[in-house]
Amino acid sequence: MSKESVLAHLWQQQGDPTRGGSVCAAGDCQSCLATIDGIAYTRMCRTPWRDGMHVEPHPHGDQLPALESRGNRAATIARTMHCDVVVIGQGSAGLAAAAEARALGRDVVTLDTGDGQDAIGIYPGPLVVARTDAGMWHLYPRIEIVVATGAAEIQPVVPGNDLRGLVTARAAESLSAAGIDLGRIVAVGTPPREVACTVAVGALVRFEASATDASRVGAVIARDDRGVEQRHVCDTVSLGLGLAPRDALLRMARGTNVHGVGDVLRAPDLPPCPTAGIVCACLGVTVDDLRSVHARGFHELELVKRATLAGTGPCQGAACVPHVRAFLAAQGAALQPPFTARPLTRQITLGEVAAGAHHVATPRTALDAEHRALGAQMERLGGWWRPWHYGDVDAEYHAVRTAVSLCDVSTLGKMQVSGPGAVALLEHLYPVPIVSLKPGRSRYVLLLDERGYVIDDGMVCRDGETRFTLTFTSGGSTFAELWIRDWAESLNADVRIMNQTTSLGAINVTGPRATKLLALAGVTTPPAFLHHDTLDVAGICCRVFRLSFTGEVSYELHHAAADSVVLWRRLMELGRDLGIRPHGLEALMKLRLEKGHVIVGQDTDFDSTPRRLNHEWAVRLEKPAFVGRHAVIRTNAIPLDRQLCGFEMDGIAPAEGATIWHRDAFAGYITSATWSPTMRRSVMLGWLHLSNGELPTIITIDGRPARRVATPFYDPEGARARA
Amino acid sequence: MNEFVERLVDLRWPSAVKPAYDVVIIGGGGHGISTAYYLATRHGITNVAVLEKSYIGSGNSGRNTTIIRANYGIPEAVRFYQRSVDLYESLEAETGRDVMHHTKGLLWIAHSEAGVRQERARAEVNTAFGARTEYVSPRQIQEICPQLDMTGQGQWPIYGASYHPAGASARHDRVVWAYAEGAMRLGVDIHQHTSVTGLQKSGDRIVGVETTAGPISAGIVLSAVGGHVTAIAAMAGVRLPIRTHQLQAFVTNRYAHTFAPIVASSGLGVYASQTAKGEMLIGAEIDRAPAYAYDAGHQFIRSCAFRSIALLPFLRDLKLLRQWTGVCDMSTDYSPVMGFTGAPGFLVTTGWGTWGFKAIPVGGEQMAALIATGRTPELIAPFSLDRFANDRTMADRGSAGTH
Repeated sequence: MSKESVLAHLWQQQGDPTRGGSVCAAGDCQSCLATIDGIAYTRMCRTPWRDGMHVEPHPHGDQLPALESRGNRAATIARTMHCDVVVIGQGSAGLAAAAEARALGRDVVTLDTGDGQDAIGIYPGPLVVARTDAGMWHLYPRIEIVVATGAAEIQPVVPGNDLRGLVTARAAESLSAAGIDLGRIVAVGTPPREVACTVAVGALVRFEASATDASRVGAVIARDDRGVEQRHVCDTVSLGLGLAPRDALLRMARGTNVHGVGDVLRAPDLPPCPTAGIVCACLGVTVDDLRSVHARGFHELELVKRATLAGTGPCQGAACVPHVRAFLAAQGAALQPPFTARPLTRQITLGEVAAGAHHVATPRTALDAEHRALGAQMERLGGWWRPWHYGDVDAEYHAVRTAVSLCDVSTLGKMQVSGPGAVALLEHLYPVPIVSLKPGRSRYVLLLDERGYVIDDGMVCRDGETRFTLTFTSGGSTFAELWIRDWAESLNADVRIMNQTTSLGAINVTGPRATKLLALAGVTTPPAFLHHDTLDVAGICCRVFRLSFTGEVSYELHHAAADSVVLWRRLMELGRDLGIRPHGLEALMKLRLEKGHVIVGQDTDFDSTPRRLNHEWAVRLEKPAFVGRHAVIRTNAIPLDRQLCGFEMDGIAPAEGATIWHRDAFAGYITSATWSPTMRRSVMLGWLHLSNGELPTIITIDGRPARRVATPFYDPEGARARA
Repeated sequence: MNEFVERLVDLRWPSAVKPAYDVVIIGGGGHGISTAYYLATRHGITNVAVLEKSYIGSGNSGRNTTIIRANYGIPEAVRFYQRSVDLYESLEAETGRDVMHHTKGLLWIAHSEAGVRQERARAEVNTAFGARTEYVSPRQIQEICPQLDMTGQGQWPIYGASYHPAGASARHDRVVWAYAEGAMRLGVDIHQHTSVTGLQKSGDRIVGVETTAGPISAGIVLSAVGGHVTAIAAMAGVRLPIRTHQLQAFVTNRYAHTFAPIVASSGLGVYASQTAKGEMLIGAEIDRAPAYAYDAGHQFIRSCAFRSIALLPFLRDLKLLRQWTGVCDMSTDYSPVMGFTGAPGFLVTTGWGTWGFKAIPVGGEQMAALIATGRTPELIAPFSLDRFANDRTMADRGSAGTH
């Protein structure tokens, strides 16, 4: 490393800080893991030393680091960079590749492992993700990726390979260059360059512990050319046992424009078949373990990995795979390819991985601050922050039933469809006649998919001959836009589609005094039920839709979202003497349930047909063609199995999800339940199974007697909404 | 010797592919092998071949997040998965092998009033059909899992949860191997590296398979493949309402065992548990776009790491070990598809979405009973393929998409 590493610093200060096993000092093995500044599994050899750094020895054996995060840590910064070429590795091959690309005038980003810049993976994109001392880099090369990660040194697998004092030849070079005294060095295999050492000729046999320190090597035994074991006394053994390419990045980057240069392309040296010792130091897998699983039928690399866990530790098989391959080849199998290469090739923390991610913010309506100022408990629902209640659900409920109330319904999906093809498109999308809907009129509609299942509901409002406003549920509007655009394209419809969900605010004015409030706001001739008009309301231009979800007289005021706050405040002010107070969703759930209105998503499931929802009235099969018609006709011919029904019972409401029983047999479950303050009993919607072809009437819910009844529960004739 | 290796199964591979078997099962994953196991052990049917194109358990059986639970949203599913929970609990006694089964308890967290409603409803339906699930308060949640940030980093406050004490996990490979050993010991042939390239027909009937090891005649052919089931079914002229989606997951390094339960959050779209090895195992929801590829995505891991830290802040400083991808065969109603297909002699067990691992024992047991008796057992009758034609689909909105 260009800066002094923790490994070199500590070795210099206090002697070998590793816990045993051969040390590569190049980020490939697991021998120098430590807990550094609270982060376990950190390689000392890859971490630049800083004064004040807290380095704790890593637990090993049966001991594992604690599952914890200590103290505060600054968030990791993420940078996204676009360039022509990314060169991973700045050894001689990488330097040359970068120079060559620059000479061609290309914009090159280099990642220098020696400078703490580790590529952790190549992803589709292509995207190279790298951890650097300056944070995470997300690199998008336009032309190519050059992998110049070189090769890792093969680790020894012989008895005693867990002793301290074993270093690879390159580690011997770099540690010596850092001024560290490694004592008497005996080199096995290729000796280190420019390091004074004795060479032990022949094949490595085992390491022996020192007489004075049982954790350290005291001698290395090698078998010489004549087959005689020679004992070489030493303080340190340098191991030059061959190279295996660090080609995981190259192998994981299938299908992208990536190529390797230098040692990463070399064929891996195959070590001799191991006969004893630890193969996988990360998981403590021995050669005996390999023999054992092989004898039990685990013959291929991937199965041996899963059976022994060799290769599933922090070094991801870099140390053990050459030996496991050699072992399996020696058992007579063909030489098997290494493990599938997957990210991450170098370890980083979850905090580092998450760098640059952020919460997908839940949208807020223009009235969000108003709700909070009024003491609302805000909740995520249908993909928006919405007021759940303003502190007094009963008072909110009664304001709607007896006075006047406001509800922020800006979250409703709102879409304008216009153009010569609008009527034909909507005729195709909706299961009711559109052509006969007069301008200025609205109607309730179901949206069906091709399988005849209800995917959303809302209103179709005709603004003119070729112009319509459509509404959808809050949670369904994104999908509805895709759905409508997709059909418009398929049918080649000459229409313009504008999603106004976020550009328009919507306030529902509801209650027996709603008309009075609009009069105070200057509306002298409000639209009749299921009509709409463009009117000035308290000085704000509004599309006023007369409809009802609460069961009372209701006007839905659609307006530019920028005017929402002014409109809301003026209406609250004008309604003061009328007993106005806003209501949240909790009250709305009660109000709509008393009216038996279904909420798509809560009361329906993926396979709810109009018939199952008891909404056959909202489907006109005499229409020759609409999405889902064939499926509805087909399924209507099949005996009905269950239906969404209304229920009532005395006493408090059961939990939503409560099961329904008929004569001791399961008969369905409740999807919505509430205590009705007006009816003085609990009212519910739920799925009821037919029994002998009929819907049972007397049932048990929550262990209590209950009745199936027709909906609406409240004002069944709908006189109040039309008043 | 490593303790992990010491308690391992003994796999005795067959020498050669026979020209004919009573039953040929395509796919050597958990479902295919457990079906063979139950055919042999419960019905004495041992002239069975399992054909695996790679090594056993190499597909989704070795790529899932090993969670076992029965807290589904519809009665038919609760009963079915509860049977699997029970079979898993006795699997070690049954096979004499250590599959590292641990009962951990599963918390499914609600971050909103709507979430509370959903978890309460789950508890109601589960309890009514024999799966124990109760709604628990924030105070109880903290006792079960003290590591949770109850404020969700100020963004995702925890309101409550459903708690399913029977939630468990087991080592996926070991489940596959335990069944494989038991099946092979009784004479079932499991052929690895044997791909099915076609089906043999006699009239309408499927009478065998073409393989890379030659043709094999079969009384019954069962497709138990994951990922390419639509391609196999098409060979039999059967269309399946299945789309295949990616599902990704990742693990951290190994840490001390102090994270007891399985924790899931629909609001954040993540779930986490600690494996027997000590890794934190984190998964998410399926990718929306259909795909067969096993590519790992960076957007997934970045976002998933971020969301899991919001729930469990200690994860921030843990080192990530590996990420991977499996593929999920999703049926249109998010329930499995098991049994007869309309093509005589050809059966399927598919639609295993994100719930295949947890159904390995019950799926095998029930498919074996179906093959042995020629009749669909009551427990899986709701999951027949003909439900789509008969308007009897098994939609389970509450369970769709995650673990």
